[in-house]
Amino acid sequence: MTEDQSRSLAEVEALLARLGCDLVLVPEASGDAAWRAGFGTVRTRLEALGGPTAARLCARVDALVGAASAEDARAAFDALVADVSAWRDGTAPVPAQGSAPDGASGIGDDDLEMLRADPELASMFVAEALDHLGTIEASILKLESSPRDAQLLNDIFRPFHTIKGNAGALGVGRVQQLAHTVETLLDHCRSGRLTPGPHEIDAVLKAVDLLTTMIQDIGPRLGGGEGRDVWPASLVLMDAIQALSAAAASPGGEPRGTDPHQERPTQAPALPEEPRRRAEDQPGHHAVRVDTRKLDTLIDMVGELVVAQSILYGHPAWQAALDERAARQLAQLRRITGDLQRTAMSMRMVPIRSTFQKMARLVRDLGKQAGKQVELVFSGGETELDRKVVEEITDPLMHMIRNSLDHGIERPEERMRAGKPPTGRVELTASHEAGNIAITVADDGRGLQLARILEKAVERGLVPEGASLTPQEIHQLIFKPGFSTAVEVTAISGRGVGMDVVRRNIESLRGRVDISSTPGEGTRFQIKLPLTLAIVEGLLVAAGDQRYVVPTFAVRESLRPAPGDVHHVQGAPRMIRVRDSLLPLVRLSDLFGIGASGLSPAEMTAVVIEDDGRRLALLVDRLLGKQEVVVKSLGSAFRHVRGVAGGAILGDGLVGLILDAGGVMDLTDERGPEYGGRPSPQRRAAA
Amino acid sequence: MQQPDGARGGGRLEALPGKYLAFTLGNEEYALPVLRVREIIRMMEITAVPQVPRYIRGVINLRGKVIPVADLRARFDLDEQAYTERTAIIVAELAQADGVPLLMGVVVDAVSEVLNIGGKDLEETPQFGAGVKTDGIVGMAKSRGRVTMILDIDRVFGGDVAENGRSAVA
Repeated sequence: MTEDQSRSLAEVEALLARLGCDLVLVPEASGDAAWRAGFGTVRTRLEALGGPTAARLCARVDALVGAASAEDARAAFDALVADVSAWRDGTAPVPAQGSAPDGASGIGDDDLEMLRADPELASMFVAEALDHLGTIEASILKLESSPRDAQLLNDIFRPFHTIKGNAGALGVGRVQQLAHTVETLLDHCRSGRLTPGPHEIDAVLKAVDLLTTMIQDIGPRLGGGEGRDVWPASLVLMDAIQALSAAAASPGGEPRGTDPHQERPTQAPALPEEPRRRAEDQPGHHAVRVDTRKLDTLIDMVGELVVAQSILYGHPAWQAALDERAARQLAQLRRITGDLQRTAMSMRMVPIRSTFQKMARLVRDLGKQAGKQVELVFSGGETELDRKVVEEITDPLMHMIRNSLDHGIERPEERMRAGKPPTGRVELTASHEAGNIAITVADDGRGLQLARILEKAVERGLVPEGASLTPQEIHQLIFKPGFSTAVEVTAISGRGVGMDVVRRNIESLRGRVDISSTPGEGTRFQIKLPLTLAIVEGLLVAAGDQRYVVPTFAVRESLRPAPGDVHHVQGAPRMIRVRDSLLPLVRLSDLFGIGASGLSPAEMTAVVIEDDGRRLALLVDRLLGKQEVVVKSLGSAFRHVRGVAGGAILGDGLVGLILDAGGVMDLTDERGPEYGGRPSPQRRAAA
Repeated sequence: MQQPDGARGGGRLEALPGKYLAFTLGNEEYALPVLRVREIIRMMEITAVPQVPRYIRGVINLRGKVIPVADLRARFDLDEQAYTERTAIIVAELAQADGVPLLMGVVVDAVSEVLNIGGKDLEETPQFGAGVKTDGIVGMAKSRGRVTMILDIDRVFGGDVAENGRSAVA
């Protein structure tokens, strides 16, 4: 078997997989024109391969299409799939993995010629096209619930048309070709000759995926890299789409398509009524595309300006100046820099809507795969948060939704038995809450199964046998590394990674996640995130000759230790009584090995910090005040430094380190009550 | 980092002719390719960072960016000396594995001048024998009647400050 034949068979397999989904999930659709056309394509492809095996398979296809009942069709289909994969596995050479030869790549060499000549135009084309594909995807998902919405169809048709036009103008032939094929189909829908049903929507979604891949590959291809092997799949898809279009165009009068009102396994995500047009689409609003690096530089520079301005403002020469006009102008400068900083910060904020839309697609695809009926409802898509937070929250959200679909939402039969509607519901909401962003993922599934979680945790040695835990404590167990209760490992979840990663990711965004769950009624994950990662409110403290920022969210209280409350171990203060509890006491200067001031604990201030239920009192020389600071990464050079979350540029332009409460506690635990390891010179002097 | 003499640098001529920024540590003169120098700033107050090797002095604010600062004297195990009016921080670009250059401040006694070093001025680093670190010295240049040691800044700081930091803490 040649490589071409093997690729062709792989395409047949892919096509069969798609048709198979429909066979199981949309039995009503079997036998309709699109379905027949799909198998027609399979048959043509098989025939082209030639030989006795191909002939036998063609006969199977005929039997399948002509099957009298759904059961017969199903059986014939299974046999066909088994034969095709056996043929491919048995005799086919292993197809080349990864990078594809030019012929199979989504972007051919010819396609790149004009783009090469003008890289800037190329990157604009890529950015715009990807943007369009994003809006198309969101619109298509809405189309599932209102297939006759002309406005919606226009919203899908237009960007496809733009992509096709731009691709044509830039000579990106393969993109143009695929976009054109889809456009034709959409045109039938627009004109009412065809009502988009699950087949049409699937096809368009698939085209969006392929186009996205092709367009994403343009950059790497221009850089001399390889593209991904999507062209054969595109050819198959174009065949299928053309079949759908042909069916619509054929005389027969009646508009056809799958009846959109029939019960379908995967419900369309019922999107709440949102204004169709985004603010920036309205007349009078214009948006420009700006490189995020330029934006970050701008924000850095504005931060510097604010610092420079405040140094100037605090300068003794100004304080002494009696010129009222100069003082007024300086105050004016101060106001302007303040406004400038707020504006610059707001430029980092983006609505979370696009992330929610990605989840809608995920729910749809996962629901289909798992044979569950799920609808996703989201609200608060307009809630704005820091661009970086939006990027970083996508993965955790995806994990949580997978978790809900895999473990939470039951199969339709089970739901019916429990007296619930067969369609499960996942709710995704975002809102502002007291200076934070709250994101909720809630499902109406079976809820966390406490007994099973506990059993598993004991089995994995995460809790001792016979331990009695509160339901809340048991809920927390699912965030432990390596914990998984999935009976079977599925492609979706159950590999024992996931929820611990979710928690870690959220904590790295300085957020937290809580769970509540009621057996039989569902599970709710609540995430709280800071509005921005760029600014943190902190307590500025002095220790030795250094200043540190302790984030306010980690500070419980600060107090002047009474001599009687401080307990010494081996001559050094090690514990402090704060009301009824005894907390470990650590001199920050000792922990970080910096020059100590030589003050006694009673002359110092204890800052009680908390992280993940642990508390510790940090001895510092004095408090300098509360302030908001701009968080700066220390960069890769210091990624192994623990107890430090970043740097902040303080009012005088110098850097102060921002403490990481969890890291400080880990560091203390590790050094033990005696601080173990190498005592620092300061400690020896102090002891 | 500690390599036997000659395994790296010593005995091979790797420096190329070109422009170099010359600076001094005590009586010795060293040079870096100017292409790797972003700017030169005056000594300023440095914020200490815990758990790093002694030669990493901490971080400074370079116009809104927080960058690490290393002391070259400490790196070469030379006697410590109080910073003076002439002490300078050379902000250099270090190559990193991920391709994004790391900006790092390098504290030197004084910056001398930009040298134009031609091919005929360059010589291999001689073998000094055991105990003398030639790590990071990739050539010697003779000009103006004195010898200047040419540094490969990536090698001097091991290419990755963080890895050094970790091994120093462990």
